[in-house]
Amino acid sequence: MNGQYASLLIAIPLISAFFVPVIKAASKKAVMPFLVLVTAAQTAAAAWVFNEVYTTGKPIIVMAGAWRPPVGINLYIGHFAALFVFIVAAVSFLLSIYNFKTIKIEPIDKYAMLFLLLMLGATGMIATGDIFNLFVFMEITSITAYALTAYNKTGEAAEASMKYMILGGIGSSFFLIGIAIVYGSLGTLNMAQIAQLAGSMNATAAQAGLALLIFGLAVEAELFPLNAWAPDAYQAAPHPVTVMFSAFVVKAGLYAAARLLYIMQSVGSWHSVLKLVVIMATLTVLVAEFSALRQRNVKRMIAYSSISQVGFIALALALGTQAGVDAGVFHMVNHAIVKALLFIAVGYVAVELGGAEMENFRGLGRRMPITAFSITIGSLAVIGIPMFNVFWSKLRIILATVDVGYTWAAALVLIASVVEAVYYLRLLHVIWFEGSGERITESAALGAIMLLLVALVIVIGVYPDYVWNLAQKAGADIFNVAQYIKNVPLMGVGA
Amino acid sequence: MVSILKRSLAIITILIIGYWLAVAMSHVPFGQDKMLVGQYYLNHVKDQTGAINAVTAIVVNYRGFDTLGEVTVLFIASTGVGALLWKRKRERTARVPGSVVLTTGTRFLFPFIVLFGAYIFIHGHLTPGGGFPGGATIATGFLLLYMAFTVYEIPHKGFEVTEGLVGMSYVAVGLIGLLIGSYFLYDWIWQTWHVGTVGKLFSGGFIPIIYILIGLKVGTELSGIIDNMLKEGVSGND
Amino acid sequence: MIEISAYYFGAIALIMIGLYAVLVKKNLLKMLVGLSIMETGVNLLLISIGYINGKSAPILSEGIGPKQAVDPIPQALVLTAIVIGVATTAMALSAAIILYEKYGTLNIEEIRRLRG
Repeated sequence: MNGQYASLLIAIPLISAFFVPVIKAASKKAVMPFLVLVTAAQTAAAAWVFNEVYTTGKPIIVMAGAWRPPVGINLYIGHFAALFVFIVAAVSFLLSIYNFKTIKIEPIDKYAMLFLLLMLGATGMIATGDIFNLFVFMEITSITAYALTAYNKTGEAAEASMKYMILGGIGSSFFLIGIAIVYGSLGTLNMAQIAQLAGSMNATAAQAGLALLIFGLAVEAELFPLNAWAPDAYQAAPHPVTVMFSAFVVKAGLYAAARLLYIMQSVGSWHSVLKLVVIMATLTVLVAEFSALRQRNVKRMIAYSSISQVGFIALALALGTQAGVDAGVFHMVNHAIVKALLFIAVGYVAVELGGAEMENFRGLGRRMPITAFSITIGSLAVIGIPMFNVFWSKLRIILATVDVGYTWAAALVLIASVVEAVYYLRLLHVIWFEGSGERITESAALGAIMLLLVALVIVIGVYPDYVWNLAQKAGADIFNVAQYIKNVPLMGVGA
Repeated sequence: MVSILKRSLAIITILIIGYWLAVAMSHVPFGQDKMLVGQYYLNHVKDQTGAINAVTAIVVNYRGFDTLGEVTVLFIASTGVGALLWKRKRERTARVPGSVVLTTGTRFLFPFIVLFGAYIFIHGHLTPGGGFPGGATIATGFLLLYMAFTVYEIPHKGFEVTEGLVGMSYVAVGLIGLLIGSYFLYDWIWQTWHVGTVGKLFSGGFIPIIYILIGLKVGTELSGIIDNMLKEGVSGND
Repeated sequence: MIEISAYYFGAIALIMIGLYAVLVKKNLLKMLVGLSIMETGVNLLLISIGYINGKSAPILSEGIGPKQAVDPIPQALVLTAIVIGVATTAMALSAAIILYEKYGTLNIEEIRRLRG
């Protein structure tokens, strides 16, 4: 099949989302099964793209409207994008099943549309090769996220969403100013061409432009000064949406930030921007871990933990070395699996026992053994116990950090990891050694999903090589900008 | 006290950011020709797209992906507003009917407003405007109806289904391009047949078609948002 | 001192005024107005980047050839950015409606206090 059919990754969720009102007019009951169908189709398309990219070793360049870049917008589905588009689709597929159990609040048809469009936005952010198109997809993602955050229509949810909107609005304005500076200096919006020409930019303008772009994305990527919205939003959003935030919306933001960071690497002031991101990332880890310690609500606690892991990834991506980027991508994959597992399990507990407060988890080991087992494995993995997947990526991140000479950052991050162990062990203590209650029958479908993710955690933990290989290829895709430029068939324009 | 401190802190932050931006912008020359891709568009827009308005050619044709995203954003807004303000039963609560001038004026003007909106989006490839302003114009017509008549409501079901179908048609136009020209959003009308003369109404490839779709979509969506915001939940049914 | 065009200066000033409102105001609606002002400033900035001295709008009718028109790209971008701004504002307003229904006020400090 022609590589251009990869544009179906955008077309399928979009046309399906537009189809939902029509389905609803026919039968409201059909909406949720339709969601399963669409996400399955999307997963199949993504699997095909993944297979295509990894067997040929060449990225797929989708050229919209047959215009060659930089005249038209191109999607660049390289090793990284292929891997993550697949993760986005697969997680969405699992969540479309999870939706049946967790989404009871009306209007479900609107929820289904927003769900599909959030998936679309993250896919587009990962796949696009044009800086303004990245902005459009970023807005698709964030506006959907605003709506979904407030979907429960409680006061807390509306407030969280409002906070998110205000930070997001400032962020997107900054991002646009960044685009204005880059476009004003170079006259192009295509990322490959920007990478090609970046060296000719005035150093001051380039520094400001890049910093503004990174700041704009930092809202989505949950980096320190701009992540105040995240804990509230994670807590207030419907459970499947929280999983989506943690598993791939953040990743899309992080990837976009890393991509922009590396394509601009030939500008004179590049290292100062890198250092800024390293500091932001370290602060993200520290602040989030210490805030997590104080939480009484488990969902919020895991939200903080997720933010701190995101800080880890950002740190690795901003090191400016191949080893760092590879480790960061590896951690992204692991984090997506583990946090999807934890949030699914915690959300399930909250649905069954009426809340995610610490008290609800007392005696969970006896009441919902499969869920409790999943939470246990997930928590042990996040702490970084050997033989689980996160151990390997955390180790590689810390080694890469020390390698570059940021020993202080590595030390601070290690301290934060100890803090993390404290609150996760406290949770496990509550689950297994306190309280008791009668047994609740757990849903077979959800049990299967959780056990599948648990199996992934353990398998990657024992045999990390396969995924590490993928991560290395994906990391090279981000890091090796010369190859990126060569892969995009730029046509000569102007002089 | 606290508020003065906060204010002055904010002002200092803003001055620093503003100065920083100004320094950065001073390295981007104003009013000089620094076009690279832009000049390519201007040179080739007529023979490659059949439109004379370069901006709409870029929006719909060269950078069609952006516009697809833009339509999606508006769709999200209308869906999101509908989701957030959803109530089991909602009614209009306006009590004061419009004055004679308003009601008569609305009756008289409404068809012309819709006609003008349609004119704007049909001529998008020739004159400034296009689907978004055209759709917004149509929505103002519905806003007038809402202001003038206390009981008026748009036909919800019809509007929602139109919204969905029109959006699907847009993606379908893109997919037809994928089938015919093997590229998504390929301008199959202009590139294969070169229909019409440049500068006349019947030209511009798929730009007028897409702009008609966008105009309908924007019109229905904005009217839907107005409707959602103007109605309130009937008490007791929260 | 730095030299900067009046258009850039005006745009940056608008952005900063908007940012000030977002940072300082306590009423949610005023904060949202601030956000809109910021967006307007950014759009102006984009448009003024595309301007070229002495050239005309990029509609290639009589007398205006490819050499007499300003850069069309920023105008296309602004068209998109405006729509996105409208969408954000609509979402924010509906969240504000919910907040007002739940708390009876739009003052963020009051809301924080009521939530406890």
